[in-house]
Amino acid sequence: MNPTIAAASVIAAALAIGLAAIGPGIGQGNASGSAVEGIARQPEAEGKIRGTLLLTLAFMESLTIYGLVIALVLLFANPFA
Amino acid sequence: MFDFDATLPLMAIQFLILMVLLNRLFFKPLMKTLDERDSYIRSNQVDAQERLAKAQRLIQQYEEELAASRREAQALVASAEEEAQKIAAQRLAEAQQEAQARREQAQQELDRQKAEAMQALEQQVDALSRQILDKVLGASVG
Amino acid sequence: MQMLSFLDTFTAFPLAELEVGKHFYWEIGNLKLHGQVFITSWIVIAILLTASVLATRNIQRVPQGIQNVMEYALEFVRDIAKNQLGEKEYRPWLPFIGTLFLFIFVSNWSGALIPWRLIELPEGELAAPTSDINTTVALALLTSLAYFYAGFSKRGLGYFSKYVEPTPILLPIAILEDFTKPLSLSFRLFGNILADELVVAVLVLLVPLFVPIPVMLLGLFTSAIQALVFATLAGAYIHEAVEGHGGEEHEAH
Repeated sequence: MNPTIAAASVIAAALAIGLAAIGPGIGQGNASGSAVEGIARQPEAEGKIRGTLLLTLAFMESLTIYGLVIALVLLFANPFA
Repeated sequence: MFDFDATLPLMAIQFLILMVLLNRLFFKPLMKTLDERDSYIRSNQVDAQERLAKAQRLIQQYEEELAASRREAQALVASAEEEAQKIAAQRLAEAQQEAQARREQAQQELDRQKAEAMQALEQQVDALSRQILDKVLGASVG
Repeated sequence: MQMLSFLDTFTAFPLAELEVGKHFYWEIGNLKLHGQVFITSWIVIAILLTASVLATRNIQRVPQGIQNVMEYALEFVRDIAKNQLGEKEYRPWLPFIGTLFLFIFVSNWSGALIPWRLIELPEGELAAPTSDINTTVALALLTSLAYFYAGFSKRGLGYFSKYVEPTPILLPIAILEDFTKPLSLSFRLFGNILADELVVAVLVLLVPLFVPIPVMLLGLFTSAIQALVFATLAGAYIHEAVEGHGGEEHEAH
């Protein structure tokens, strides 16, 4: 493999996963904060709020996972190698 | 890692076969069981509600009967008390009457004996006074 | 597949090794198969079928033992389908959604709970079937077919009206959505499971004992959630195709 392409791929993989983690991180923080607020306001709705929160967290998590998939493509299945 | 090959369609076919098998072995029989259990529970619930209503009706009936008999018993007790009081009053009156009669009788006897005694005393007084008179007069007359 | 050469140093460790992108190939005719995926998926299928047969062999009105467990599983997937498709529509789709959930769930947990790596293969290593992209893409494509079939069988050609329903301007986006749905479904599942296995493998590589356990527990949790998400989304897509009012709510739940 061309060393330049290898280096660029590793940097790109790191950036992909790092940048992809920013947005979902903020979003998950917001969602969890609102969920805690909701539970504090309405403790009897805790079960329902928790279930919805977990599902939405999984959706946000999947955004980072898309970045991870790209990183894995670059590392292990690099189309330019 | 991202190589697609014959694994993909075979996996899909395998999944469909699994779905058919699970549908026959798992979903259908257990859903049937769940439905049967639901209807069983529902019919049991209806049955139980009917029995509960019946029991409540019976309870009401018994309570009514209980109240009626309690009222009856109270009336009975009241009448018995009344009767007893009447009897007691009657007996008291009788006893008082008898006592009165006896007392009157005793009084009469007493009066009679007093009169007899007075009479006897009077006779004795008469006899004595005649004797005294005789003695006194006899001496002078005699 | 190709690996970057720096990863080769990992394989020098005797305790654990990281093999990514290597497959145990079977060849049938001129078709290539990933043998390790089939081996593990057959075990998963065997687990599911055995549990089903054991649970329904002697059905009682008051459930006991494995019948109780499987009834709990059935009620769980029934609730998923019922929440997404509604009380009236969910019955015919229950086998599909339920099998999706059970297969993905048992696959994910088998990858975390069964010590596959103790079994030596000539090449590649055994792992959860869902950590192979072929499996997840197959499941996602089946989901796409399922919702197309649901839309057609319910509304006939009127199903296509959803592409131009609010305004024809959104036609490209509506068509694009049909491609992004299976793409996101398959990549979400594949990425989560593969990431989970990779994180555990890397941690085992660094500290072989005890330290990876919390990460493994987190992995169990996320794998269960991913199975739930896949089944829920499949239900939501089918519901959207059957009901057909607007495409806005599909990721809302």
